[in-house]
Order: sequence, then C-alpha cells, then structure tokens
Amino acid sequence: MADYQPYDDKTQLARKIDRYPLSFTRNPSAPLIARPLTLSERTGPTGLISELGAVDKLDLSRASADGPRAVGQLISVFGRVMDEDGSPIQNAVIELWQANSGGRYIHEMDRTDTPIDPNFTGEGRLVTGPDGQYQFYSVKPGAYPVLESGWWWRPPHIHFSILGPSWMTRYVTQIFFPGEPLNETDLLLNAVPDRDVRERLIFEFDSTSMGAVNSISFKRDFVLRGRRQTPALH
Amino acid sequence: MITSPYCTIGPYFPYSFVDGLEDLTKFGEQSARGQRIEIRGRVLQEGNLPTRNSILEIWQPDANGVFRHSLDPRCREADPGFRGWGRSRTDAQGNYWFRTVMPGAYAAEDGRPRCPHINLMILAIGLTRRMVTTIFFADNPEQVSDPVLDCVPMEARNRLFATKQSGQADDCLSYRFDVILRGENETPFFLD
Repeated sequence: MADYQPYDDKTQLARKIDRYPLSFTRNPSAPLIARPLTLSERTGPTGLISELGAVDKLDLSRASADGPRAVGQLISVFGRVMDEDGSPIQNAVIELWQANSGGRYIHEMDRTDTPIDPNFTGEGRLVTGPDGQYQFYSVKPGAYPVLESGWWWRPPHIHFSILGPSWMTRYVTQIFFPGEPLNETDLLLNAVPDRDVRERLIFEFDSTSMGAVNSISFKRDFVLRGRRQTPALH
Repeated sequence: MITSPYCTIGPYFPYSFVDGLEDLTKFGEQSARGQRIEIRGRVLQEGNLPTRNSILEIWQPDANGVFRHSLDPRCREADPGFRGWGRSRTDAQGNYWFRTVMPGAYAAEDGRPRCPHINLMILAIGLTRRMVTTIFFADNPEQVSDPVLDCVPMEARNRLFATKQSGQADDCLSYRFDVILRGENETPFFLD
C-alpha cells in the first residue's frame, strides 16, 4: 500500500502571489485540517482510459489524423510519470491543453483577437505506457497577454492534468519552455521558493532524442505523490 | 524523488474535458444501482462572490460502499455501472451540479465506520493547488462519528453536510452543497 504524505510546501508554488488578486480572495483564511487517510482517500478512479478516450499516440499538430498541419513550430514532448520511489506509473491518464502558435485558446473565456487556427484544437488525452512514458506531437504554443489582473504576459506553456492511481495522486500543472524571456516575469513560474522547484516546471530541451526529424524535442518527467510503505517498526 | 510542483488550472480548461462527466450513474453501457441523488451548489470566494469556471471533481464508493479499486477488499463486488468519479464546472453564477448515487457506508481499515460521503476537490484560477474537502450525508449530523469528520472543529462540522432539498423528481433526491473558498461560513478544507 502506498504511503501519501502532505505536499512539502518547499516543493510547491506559493499559495498567495503578489499582483494575483484571486490568490487572495480564493484561498481559505482558516488553516488546512490534517486528517487520516482511509480507503476512501487512498483509492481513486479506474477504468477511465476508455471512458475518457485516452490514447497512447497523440498528435495535436493536426485537428484530424489526415488533416493539414497547424501553423507553428512542430514539437515532440515526452517524459515519464513516476512515484516518489521512481517507480513508473502505467495507465495514468494525461489531459493536455494549450494555446495555438499565436497564443490563442479555443475557449469562450479567451477574448483576445488572435485568430483561431482551424487545424489546431490544442487539447487531447494520453495514457502512459509500461515505463510510465508518454509522448505527443504538437506545435509550440505562443505567449499571450492576461487582460485582467493588471496585465502580464504569459510565456509559452502547456497545461498537464494527470489522473494517477489514487485520489491522492491527482495532479495539475503548467510546463514552460526553456530560455523564454517572458519566463523571468511570469507571476506563476516565479511563485516558487527556490530555483530547483522552478526547473521542475520547465521542459528540458533535448537535441538528441526521439521524435520526427522535423520536430524539436522537449522532455518533462513528473513525480506524483506516493511511495511504497515501509513496514512499521515494532 | 521530489514531487512535481502543482500549478493553477487557469481559465482555459477545455469544456470538452468536463461536459458529460457530471453524471456518474452510467459507466460504459451499464447503469448504476442505488438511490439517485443530485447535488447542486455554488462555489463562492471572498465577499460571497461567485467563481466562474472552477473545476470540481468527486470520488466516492458505490451504493454498497464499495470502491472499484484494487485496494478495496470488496473490489470485485463493485457496481459495474457506476463510474465513482465525476467532474463539473461552475457557470457565471458559480453554480455546479452532479448526478450520482447515495454513497454507501463502509468500515475504514481500523474498523471504524465511515459516514456516507463523497470526496470533493476544487481547481480554479487563483488556486495554485487543488483544495480538498468531503461532502457528508446524514439525517442527524450532530450524531455522526467519522474519523475524518472528527478532525474538523465542532463549529464548522455542519458545513460539510449536504442539505436535503424538498423538491425531487424522477425518484432522484436533491441535495445542496455550497463551497465557500474564503469568507463567512468558509468551507473546511483538508491538508493535502
């Protein structure tokens, strides 16, 4: 049985972020309450792969399998999903969403005037393989301005939502691209206590690895909470 | 190894990842057994203002208190027509809804009974991590003993119980559960 400890705040973003007002009006004022983990919290949904239509090969660079390529730089994104022991997590469902190469989402909340690319949906679902590995093709997302909350530019990033083996491993994040000047000013990416944490939110550029010859490869591994339980001392 | 950092879900989580998952009573081709319930409520922030476009997820046992997960010793008895997991999103007024079955009670590992409940998590702009809480169901909340509920300060316990509504249709019971992220009558959240 897996052992799940509360997240160490040092490994996570700050909860309250200056110049990000919603982080102050939405985070509770009362302290979070420690609780025991029973079967209910340790278990989690199974059988979602077919239910959600998650696939092991995903190409977001086209809106349909035989359709034309979306505008933008073709990228291959890959990595592994594992637990805190480094053991691979197979059959995790990864949900992905991102802006198109101009920085536009197909979403009613996106009110920028950047055009939608008819050959790009920017969303898809993957399942991890036996070694916890995943890989997909896409086009590199563009930066975009945040029109509310006092104007800032979001650097290019891809959103990941991962459904692992337990309610305790549910995980959602955004991964950024290395070397982007806007990375230096993003309120979220810089809401981290130290440089190591920040690096875990950025893809590694991979000049040698897999992917079609005309794509640039980016790697990001994920460590979900949980380790094998050590036997209790008597 | 060090756990990966969470980040906010942001405003652009695709509706196609949500719509249709509010109803847990169908899984594959089958229908769930048990008492149908509908849960409706609002997700509010400071000042009782609605949060738009928050994402809610729930996880619960079936009507007999069985989880379709290998850790549950009764896993093989799990209702094949019940998904156990659902997702919803809030509209401009902060409203969300789920349709599910009344979760069964079960004995926790130490033998203590767990009061019928549904695990709930909330993701939203402004939250860099998920917020987790539990929705409990009981006719007499003050008489409930539950290992998780008992961690909650006495004055806040009532806020974790769904409120039965008078109207019902199609043999479906209606419940209300508001999530107050911050402010008066704030919902208790658990360390995660």
